[in-house]
Amino acid sequence: MKNKTIHSSFDIANSEKLISRRATLLAIAQTALFGVLGSRLAYLQLYKHDEYKSLSDDNRTTHRLIEPARGSILDLTGNLVAMNTENYQALVVLEETGDVHKALIAFNSILPEKKLEIKKIIDLSKKFSKFKPIKLIENLTWDEFSKLNANVYNLMGIYPNVDFKRYYPKNESLAHLVGYVASLNKEESYNNPFSKLTNAKSGKVGIEKSMNSNLRGIIGNKRLEINAFGREIRELNRVDSKKGEDVQLTIDSDLQDFCYKQLNGLSGAVTVVNIHSGDYLALVSAPAFDPNKFYNGISHSDWNLLTSNIYKPLINKAISNYYPPGSTIKPFVALAALEAGFDLNKRIQCDGSYEIKDASMETGIKSFYCWKNNGHGLMNMKDAIQRSCDVYFYTIAREIGIDKIAEVCRRFGLGKKVFTDFEEELSGTVPDKKWKKDVLGESWMIGESLVAGIGQGYFLTTPAQLSFATAQLVNGGKKLNANIIYKGTNLIQKNLSTQLLANENHLSFIKDCLYSATNIPGGTAYGSRIKGKYEFAGKTGTSQVRRITIKEREEGIIKNKDLDWEQRDHGVFIGYGPIEKPKYSISVLIEHGGSGSSVAAPIAKNVMNFIFNNKLDVKRMFKSDA
Amino acid sequence: MRSFYQIKTSLSIIDRIKEINYLLVFLLLIIFSFGLLSLYSVAEGNFEPWAKNHLIRFFISAAIFLIISLMNIKLILKLAYPLFFLNILALILILFIGTETYGATRWIRIAGISLQPSEFIKVSLILCLAKYYHSISFIDVSKISRMIIPAIITIIPIGLVVVQPDLGTSIIICIGAGSIFWIVGVNYKYFIAAFVVACASIPIGWQYLHQYQKERVYTFFNPERDPLGNGYHIMQSKIALGSGGFSGKGYLDGTQSHLNFLPEMHTDFIFTMYGEEFGFIGTIFLLFIYLSIIFVSINIANKSRSNFSKFMSSGLIFLFFIHIFINIGMVMGILPVVGVPLPLISYGGSSMLATMISFGLIMNCYINRDVILAKEGFID
Repeated sequence: MKNKTIHSSFDIANSEKLISRRATLLAIAQTALFGVLGSRLAYLQLYKHDEYKSLSDDNRTTHRLIEPARGSILDLTGNLVAMNTENYQALVVLEETGDVHKALIAFNSILPEKKLEIKKIIDLSKKFSKFKPIKLIENLTWDEFSKLNANVYNLMGIYPNVDFKRYYPKNESLAHLVGYVASLNKEESYNNPFSKLTNAKSGKVGIEKSMNSNLRGIIGNKRLEINAFGREIRELNRVDSKKGEDVQLTIDSDLQDFCYKQLNGLSGAVTVVNIHSGDYLALVSAPAFDPNKFYNGISHSDWNLLTSNIYKPLINKAISNYYPPGSTIKPFVALAALEAGFDLNKRIQCDGSYEIKDASMETGIKSFYCWKNNGHGLMNMKDAIQRSCDVYFYTIAREIGIDKIAEVCRRFGLGKKVFTDFEEELSGTVPDKKWKKDVLGESWMIGESLVAGIGQGYFLTTPAQLSFATAQLVNGGKKLNANIIYKGTNLIQKNLSTQLLANENHLSFIKDCLYSATNIPGGTAYGSRIKGKYEFAGKTGTSQVRRITIKEREEGIIKNKDLDWEQRDHGVFIGYGPIEKPKYSISVLIEHGGSGSSVAAPIAKNVMNFIFNNKLDVKRMFKSDA
Repeated sequence: MRSFYQIKTSLSIIDRIKEINYLLVFLLLIIFSFGLLSLYSVAEGNFEPWAKNHLIRFFISAAIFLIISLMNIKLILKLAYPLFFLNILALILILFIGTETYGATRWIRIAGISLQPSEFIKVSLILCLAKYYHSISFIDVSKISRMIIPAIITIIPIGLVVVQPDLGTSIIICIGAGSIFWIVGVNYKYFIAAFVVACASIPIGWQYLHQYQKERVYTFFNPERDPLGNGYHIMQSKIALGSGGFSGKGYLDGTQSHLNFLPEMHTDFIFTMYGEEFGFIGTIFLLFIYLSIIFVSINIANKSRSNFSKFMSSGLIFLFFIHIFINIGMVMGILPVVGVPLPLISYGGSSMLATMISFGLIMNCYINRDVILAKEGFID
């Protein structure tokens, strides 16, 4: 017992010591571990603060781009030809519907005619965040949209919404010229901030394409605070987008419409240009397409319809297709002859054909025929232009040579792009010896000069070139810059440069010739003259697209109406008016339409009549040229 | 001998009230207030749903704290075993009638109140072990024969908690019990042996871990391994703390927290939000208060005359410490993610009550620091 007590007291003393030592160690351990926590905190919150701060900012903020409104396109008188219209639509926010299925059923009961495929939408909606609005339906009519608005309290999570889409009110008549917008393609998307917009569109052809960077505007952006699920909490700051510039065209859309209607059922182009300013008032190609169909991607059937049409409605025939100018080249050849010193009074006998020696032919002679089988008889230059005598022009073409003809034609703008605005514009061909050597690698043949003299052979021009060249021919030879974008009156003043393209006497003689071709009996366009206060003048052309064999010539040339469409002649016309005080030049081209006098000249007459009757001068007094 | 130590055998209720350690109470109130502020912030500046309950629970827990503080320590000594036994029963009961949440069965509903017996077993085990070591002679502490009972009473609750499954709590129970073994003076060789055995059994125990527990361990060692899963939370937690910087983003202005980048913000990850909003100043201050509580409590343990008080308060304060260390270490990415609440700050009734019971017991030890307890319960 005593032993145990002693043991016990020793025990207690010892144990006290051990326990307090252990307790001290434990306290030190706890303090040390707190030190670990503290240093870790210092590491995270002080040393690594900057790094984590930026990570946190990245976490919580996001940028959203704000789409700019696209600029409008106006015609010369201020009519909208491309605009943004309201697109009435319905959006659904999944999480707000409570029950998507029920919400969609409710929607269908309000707009039964717009029956939504509920199952499809629900399947589709699984790919989206629950809080992001999904487009349910768009292009609602105003009535449908009002109905939706009136019943919105029944539609949990479905909202009426308005956004904008491109709309072309003039539809087909300006389709080629204005072009259309559609979703960005791969190349356009590269390095392009616009590709990041959900609804990005870019101009694909025409002005929409060439002026795309002006029209599209400037993207805005907003910084948003978002949570871990990407839901927007609030807007932190914003830079608003800037609407694109409006673009005003030199086109008069009423005239454009009128011209388009004139081409109804035909394939061709009409261009009208102000001969003093170089402003194009009409640049029409027919048939056309509905540019509105491209906005959301054109349907396969519509696309196939367009591409399978032999009239090629997608091509802008005014600038993107070329044709032999035919006899419309004759005024320019005549001018070249005058410049070469050819006597305009010299008379040349036309017997219906012109012969040159040609060793390659069996007979050793190659014949070139006038369109008039029996020949025109004795022709001076004026007669030859009035009646469009081919033999006369074979003769002078041979005499002055191709290089002189080509030089004059190019001086007036043939064989060159008229505009700088269109990627799709083609330049055509004004052939000469060098061109043939360079392009075909062959020497020029004398016969080729002959056919070039009547605008056939290698000669290829666009309708826009023809009216542009004519404008400079009849404005006293003043060099023009062609405009399709209206640039104000000042620039037009500058356009009236003092540089003359040709001798004034020569030019006024040519104008006389054109006048007689239209207004003097015997002229090829006499049937299409305007009898009234204002007159116009012009030259017809009929460009052949096929070779007429000697055999066919002997048996009788097949009439156009008996040929396949693609084999028929192109009808061409160039002209200007009014005679008293020339103001506008015109070119008309009817693809495979027959002779220029029968199809092209009447259209030119109607268009000129429209211009005279509508007093385009007055209408645009404050807008364009004085 | 006895008369020498027997300065006091019992105190009147008035004496006890006079003896309350107000510094400890004050420090606890500070921590609790931070909890309240944080839960208000977690709810985007709303008293509902968490702050309000937290406050109510604190009042209830504070009442229990007071009752326990003023209890006769002899009664506590007497109740140590029965309470532990009841707690074990509750853990067993949970296996049959427990409420399952997030794949773990941890709750038991009594009279409309959900309690988590595993939170209380941490306390009652320490109570139980403290009593056991109080009742045996120091010289016997390291005897194998005297190791069996404490080993059994430690392993039973660990086993019951592991199967819930709740790895975090079982680790804490294990460490808490270990602290008692340490403080009573169990030969350090046993600790070395236990450590070796634990290390050796890791490969075996690994197989029994749930997939999500394994994931957490993988993630701990390489947070970038799964940046959108488990690693995501740790990354976001570190970003939150780090972006708080020196002075924090300002109360209620934590972007990481309020934009839902953080998980379990009102419970296990609440320190992250606190650190984001109050910055390094705030977190260090909080650590300082916690450490102060620990020092005050260690001091209480040192001053305690009886072994029971000494062991119990040392064990309980270490338990408190280990919660803080694991929780904060976990949200800072220095420890794997295990579900351990931050005492008095994390939302959770059982945790709050268990913590306040612990401090009630510690306070009781302080009040009765000079009371001598016989090895076998009652002396008088």
